[in-house]
Amino acid sequence: MVSTLLELEGLTRRYGSLKALDGLSFSVPAGHVVGFLGPNGAGKTTTMRAIFGLTDLDAGTVRWNGIPVGQDQRRRFGYMPEERGLYRAMLVGEQLEYLGRLHGMSATQARAAATTWMERLGVAERAGGKVDALSHGNQQRVQLAAALLHGPEVLILDEPLAGLDPTGIDAIAAVLGEQARSGCCVLFSSHQLDQVEDLCESVTIIDHGRLVVTGTVDDLARSGPRRLVVRVEGDRDASWARDIAGVTISEVDGGAARLVLESSVDSDPVLRAAMAAGRVTEFTFERRRLSEVFREAVG
Amino acid sequence: MSGGIIAAVVAVVLVVRLWSRRRRATTGRAPTDRRLSPFTSDVALVAEREMRERFRGRIFRVGTLLVLAVVAAAIVIPTLDKGKPHPQRVGLVGSLSAPWRDAVVSSAKSVGTTVHFVSVHDKDAAYADLRSGQIDLAIVKGHDLVVNKPIGATDTSTTAQFVLVLSKNLGVIEAFEAAHLTAAQVSELAGASALAVRSVQPGPVKGAAQATSLIGIILIFLMLTQYNTWILIGVMEEKSSRVIEVLLATVRPIQLLTGKVLGIGLVALIQASTIVVFALLLAKSVGSDLLHGTAPAVLVSTLVWLVLGYAFYCWVYAAAGSLAERQDQVQSLAFPLSVPIIFGYVMALTAASSASPSSFFKVLAYLPPTAPFAMPVLVSLRAATWWEFVVSVLISIVCTIGVARLATGIYRRAILRTGGRVKLRQMLTRAA
Repeated sequence: MVSTLLELEGLTRRYGSLKALDGLSFSVPAGHVVGFLGPNGAGKTTTMRAIFGLTDLDAGTVRWNGIPVGQDQRRRFGYMPEERGLYRAMLVGEQLEYLGRLHGMSATQARAAATTWMERLGVAERAGGKVDALSHGNQQRVQLAAALLHGPEVLILDEPLAGLDPTGIDAIAAVLGEQARSGCCVLFSSHQLDQVEDLCESVTIIDHGRLVVTGTVDDLARSGPRRLVVRVEGDRDASWARDIAGVTISEVDGGAARLVLESSVDSDPVLRAAMAAGRVTEFTFERRRLSEVFREAVG
Repeated sequence: MSGGIIAAVVAVVLVVRLWSRRRRATTGRAPTDRRLSPFTSDVALVAEREMRERFRGRIFRVGTLLVLAVVAAAIVIPTLDKGKPHPQRVGLVGSLSAPWRDAVVSSAKSVGTTVHFVSVHDKDAAYADLRSGQIDLAIVKGHDLVVNKPIGATDTSTTAQFVLVLSKNLGVIEAFEAAHLTAAQVSELAGASALAVRSVQPGPVKGAAQATSLIGIILIFLMLTQYNTWILIGVMEEKSSRVIEVLLATVRPIQLLTGKVLGIGLVALIQASTIVVFALLLAKSVGSDLLHGTAPAVLVSTLVWLVLGYAFYCWVYAAAGSLAERQDQVQSLAFPLSVPIIFGYVMALTAASSASPSSFFKVLAYLPPTAPFAMPVLVSLRAATWWEFVVSVLISIVCTIGVARLATGIYRRAILRTGGRVKLRQMLTRAA
């Protein structure tokens, strides 16, 4: 059984007539990477800022191991804000050491941790340079190092994959997985749903400041109507499936018909209809993609 | 006194370092075991970063060297001028009677110079020497005074003053001789000293205290302007670069702000102390009169009011910086903030050279925005008693506490608000 570490309960934040958060509640378990999803303006960044006390809440509490989060707890958290924040004219190595010390590390500990993470994230040779001189990707890596170097027990990352090349995404994904395996609870937001699906054990989707879907990726993929991919030799438009009750043609792509089956529909009649239309070369049940879950949840 | 200043600076630096070491000692374990740090520990850490970054900056190093060079010039050049008086070169064509010679010497002395007599062969040679500037004045055949160019009524050069005084004195002597007085009588009359004139009001303060006061006012103005601008821009840059979100995820706004103004303030104090100690040592070594009279009291007063002035304005500038997000917004905020500083500075410069300060100026010495400039001037003019000085200091401290509380409230609310300049009125309403 996984113990719950970070709990958000009834978070409410209004900006005039706009409700950025509307009684939002969910939890982030230890040892999990949780994808935090939602359309633009859904309230993801406001939620993350609220965890760090950067947004004044109208109502609601954030608890860590059952204790309301304060400055002492936040020192054990790591944060990567959406708009990256570093001293532009400060040396990279010194900046990481300074941020580590603000989290309670000694100078020696902070220096060693900064060196370790700069090497791990491939920016060690930039330690003596200014942040301003770094590329966008390298600034992102330094920012991640700043969130990690004090060994956080909660890691909150706002769009950590944005603007990264595939190599950078792989590097950060590996680090997040490693952190979760070591017992850290990781919450990160992203619009890159394929990466989120590959990386996360579970996802939380919000819209208009409210929770709309939460669960493990596997459960969400198995939920909802079944998806069936059928490929019939010579078939172009899947016309053979049009008259089967309870079956909807989702799309036909390169000869492969993607069908959505209602729960009452058995697959045998579908297979028979396909075989009657020609030689069946593919007949596969497909998991629901996270992008589909997302569109259904916020659409 | 200079030893005391050095000791104070060293003590401050040691305290900051000890804070950091103690913090390392108490937190030198795994981060997850870390206990809540004292408020001062994070403040010291922020202050230490500010100090390191400022000391490392080219602006600080070049600026300090420039100020030291200006101070050195202001101290050394007057002593050079004083040590090598430029004598008036007087060309003599023919002989000069003893009373006339004495009159030439005493006239030169009365305008603060000396005379060097040069024997010239004839009138033409004397004219040639005047044109070439080899002599300042020619006395031809013991009677005629000749200069190179006519002397105007507004000519304040030493040569002009000397020649005007000499011509008058020689005219009197000639009158005495025409009256058939003996040479001894003429000499006695020519050497008669003027009667002293006393005044009801005290005269303008001259010399060391006035010079020290002026240097102090300029120092306070330069340092308040420079260091408060650093705070303004520093706060704005933390906001615009969004590093503020990372920092405030760990420390409280009051800790961050206090560390910043403390760190920059210590840099200012160290720079000011360096300049003062350098000036004192240089003044002593070259024999300047910078330390005479009330100058030491003015110097101490200057340092006290530099600290109080910084303490008052730093919070105001920090709050203003939290409202801005771009350089152009900073400039529009900086101007109104600098108005009281410039006003106090100009008023102090005017009052420093006057005989006695006006009542209005005395009022300025009790208002915290202008007191850093006005009170040191009153001290130099001996126009403030010790208790008036203390009252002004207390008023400034009380107002600074109030301003700091207000500014911290504005800072806390404005620093995380992005997307354009934050309106002060809205922040004041919320901070109140």
